[in-house]
Formats: sequence, structure tokens, C-alpha cells
Amino acid sequence: MKVVIATPLYPPDIAEPAPYVKELATRLAGEHQVTIVAYGRLPEQIPGVTLIAVPKDRPLAERLMAFTRALRAAARHADVVIVENGASVEVPAILVSLTGKTPLIFHLGDIAAHTVAEQNLGRHVIERITRAHARATVDDRPMARPEILPFEPEPAAEQKLWEESWQRHLVLLTSYFHA
Amino acid sequence: MPDARHEWEQYRSDEFARASRVLTHRGFMLDEHQPHTEGERFLLSGHKLVLVGSKDGARCIMKVSSDERGKEELRYEHECRHTLHNLDFAYRPFFSPDELAYFEEEGVLVLVTGFIEEEKAFLAHTTEEQFFLALGAFKTQEGVQATTYRHAQTIKDVFGIADGARYLSDFHEYGETVRTASDPEANRVMQEAGAFLTDHAVNIERYTGFLTHTDFVPHNLRIGSGYMYLLDHTSLRFGNKYESWGRFVNYMTLYNPELESALVEYVRKNRSAEEYEALRLMRVYKLGFLLAFYARSYGKTMGDVQELARIRIAFWTQALKAVLADTQLSKETIEAYKENRNRLRSDEEKQRQKLLNQL
Repeated sequence: MKVVIATPLYPPDIAEPAPYVKELATRLAGEHQVTIVAYGRLPEQIPGVTLIAVPKDRPLAERLMAFTRALRAAARHADVVIVENGASVEVPAILVSLTGKTPLIFHLGDIAAHTVAEQNLGRHVIERITRAHARATVDDRPMARPEILPFEPEPAAEQKLWEESWQRHLVLLTSYFHA
Repeated sequence: MPDARHEWEQYRSDEFARASRVLTHRGFMLDEHQPHTEGERFLLSGHKLVLVGSKDGARCIMKVSSDERGKEELRYEHECRHTLHNLDFAYRPFFSPDELAYFEEEGVLVLVTGFIEEEKAFLAHTTEEQFFLALGAFKTQEGVQATTYRHAQTIKDVFGIADGARYLSDFHEYGETVRTASDPEANRVMQEAGAFLTDHAVNIERYTGFLTHTDFVPHNLRIGSGYMYLLDHTSLRFGNKYESWGRFVNYMTLYNPELESALVEYVRKNRSAEEYEALRLMRVYKLGFLLAFYARSYGKTMGDVQELARIRIAFWTQALKAVLADTQLSKETIEAYKENRNRLRSDEEKQRQKLLNQL
């Protein structure tokens, strides 16, 4: 399937959902044709994944329009669009869904942005509209990758749990790929 | 040949007299012994004095200058401190001693900060403790990333900003400076290093936009209540995420190779291949800076201090070769260098280094 992931953050950004999106795309790329539309200038590359970067060092309205254009073009031939939460992606996703037919899966990967949406009426409305336009909303988040630290044994147990959390997450997420 | 030491001693004497008058008038007391003005301090940047003293029984650090360049550094530090503590895009809190006073009197600009009592110096901790303290400090810095238009507007008038082109042009200048020291090996390795940076310029640019500290070494930090406190804000700028790492890891090549190895392995095992390369690129960049610094010292000193500059250029050239080859310097090379360096250092400098725990 052709999968588009739209995200406000992607490495070299460090905050969630940046590491999550990179891991997700890497894992999906084994079976699917993956495109990431992300804010940024020089995103970290993933073999076999197409990356479309929208610079964010522009005024808000300008970058929202640029992201909307990029997402619309990527979504046109896609089977599904995974939308990471955050107003800067939700607004373009809503606009794209109004004019296109590609189904959205809304993922609440950024708890901080979700908390802001709960406290800010404007953001709350945008998040609600995105949910309404999405085929499904997924609030499951796999574990963060355990760090391998010097002076400490390899975190084998944590790595196993991390892998299992990803397997569960992928089963859940991909179950929404088909109507 | 001009001797920077004599020039510094004259400045120190005049500035100390001026600053003492101003500080005493404001109720500050200065310690009799002022270690941060001695030894090889004359080779470091800026005409300003870092003085130790107290007010109302509380220990404090007083940075003073009547020199325009020195004042500019103090103004920059003052602004950086205030902006840093009010950034709304920092993910973690920054620890730094409180600013107690900032004023200008009789042409002397004074910035006073609290004194962080330290149970143990950084290098007196176990390597494992050092690792986690350093990692925590790096993660705090990495949590300040200026990515959006609004972030750029917030920082552009306060902090210095370095992009990929700036790093490359700086390194080119370092190469020109190193050439003046007439060390063919250093010159050759600098050229190789310049090509390495140019070939991988995308990974320098990719990780810019992060808060970084150009002189992130233990003597600019203090450990208090399990946290690292930043003492020097003049070296903060937005640049490559690994610039602080590069300076710190290079420093550990000499002072704790086990920690050097632990930090390098941490990045290699936990971060992307591009980030590992960025760390190497910044280590190369910072070594170029260090070699240029010693090449300049070589040109403006005489006798043992000049000889010290010469052996330092030779040693750090070996370190640069090791980073380019992605290996570590041998223990024997490090020990031989330390022995030569200690033989050439003045007693005053040995005392200053002892205070900094850098022997």
C-alpha cells in the first residue's frame, strides 16, 4: 500500500513524535511504499522512504499553505494518510481531506500537543474536526527505545518489551489501513 | 616579538585597582588570592577579570572589565542569561548560578553571580558519574532547538548563530592560522580535516539550530546537588547540536579517555549514523579551533611558553588524526605529552591548573 505520514516533527527534531515517526516509517517500509511529509529542512533519510520537507522558518500562514500543498500532492495517489496530532499538521490534513478521498488515520503521538488542545479552545476545535474527518483515531503509543548505556548491562528485557509494544502498535495501526 | 604575558600583567594590575575601588564601594570584598587571573590566563580571550570574593558573608564571582571588548562579552553574557531562562521552547530547565548584580561604575562594567559550592570537582567523580552528569547537561542543551520562524525571531538579536557555511569558513581560517606555526604535519592533517568537513557538510548543516556551548568543559561548569551548573554564558550560541559534545569529548581525550570512549559509544549505539558522523565532524572542527589557538600562542610567546605551544600543536594534531581515522589516541601518546607539558609549565600555571583539577 501507499502510505503517507504527515508529521509536525521529524529528526533532527528530538521531541515526540519525531523519533516515533522515523521508527514507524522504517518498519512500514518493509511492506509498504512510504512517504513522509514533515516540517524541517534536512530530514534524516531512511532507505526506501520518500521524504518531503517543508521549511518551518517562515511565518505561520506561509508554512501552513506550503505544508497543505505538499500533503495534497503526496496524498493524491496514496491509500492512507497517517496524521500525527498537532495543529500545524491537523489544519492541512483537514483541508486535504475536504478536497480529496484518501482516508486519514489520526494518531495522538504527541501528548504535549494534545494537552495544549485540551486547554485551548481553538486547538481543541481543530483536533475535534480532525478526529471527525479521520477513519480512526489511534492513541496507542509504543515505548520509547531503551537506551544502551555504558557501565550498565545491555537492557535486553526492556528491548524485548519495546519490540513487543511496536508489534502490537503496528497490528493496531495497520488494521485501519483497510476500510 | 611582542610578549602577551607582559601586556596581560599590565592590564591585570590596572584593572584590578579600578575594579577593587568600585567593588569595595558597593560592599563587595575580594579574596586576597585571585587564581583566575594567573598562569596562562593571558592566552585566553578578552580583557576582563574573573574575581572571587563575597558580600554580606555570601561567596560570589565578579566578572569585571573597563575594556570595550571585555564589556561587550559581559553584556552578551547578561543578555544570554536572561533570554535563556525565559525561552518557552526549552524542554528542560537550565541550571546556572543566580545573577546578583549587574552595573557600570567609573567605566567598569561588573557582573556578579552566586558561587556554586562544589563538594567534588567534575573530574574527581567516578567516570560513571561523570558520564551521567555530562549526558544530562547535553540533553538539556539539545532540548533548546530553534526551528520555527518565531523561535528565530526570539534568538536572532541575542545569541550568536552558526550555520554550516559558518563552520566551514571558520575552519578554513583555522587552517590558515595553523599554517603560520610552520608545522608541516599539522598543516597536512588540517587540510585532510578540511576536506572531511566539506565532504560531509550536509551533516553539519542538518543538526544546526540547537543551543550549544563553544567551550563546554569542566572548568566552565560546577556540580551542585547532582546537577551541572553553567558558569560561562558568553560561549552560548545556536549551532550544531554536537559542538558542545565535540569540545567536551576532545577535552576528555586528555583528561579522561575512558569517558571519551563512553560518550562516543553512547552516540554510536543510541543515535542515528548521521548523528554519529556529526559528532566526529564537530570534534574535527573543535580540534581545528584548538590548533589555531595554539598556533597563535606560538606566534606571540617566547621561551618555555612557546615550546609548550609547539608540543601542544604536535599533540592535538595526533588527536585530530585519531578522530579522522575514527580511533582513540594511545595511552602512551597521552602520557608522554602530559610529562612534557608539565615540565614546561610555570609554577603559577601549575597552581592554576591544580585549582581547575586539570593536572
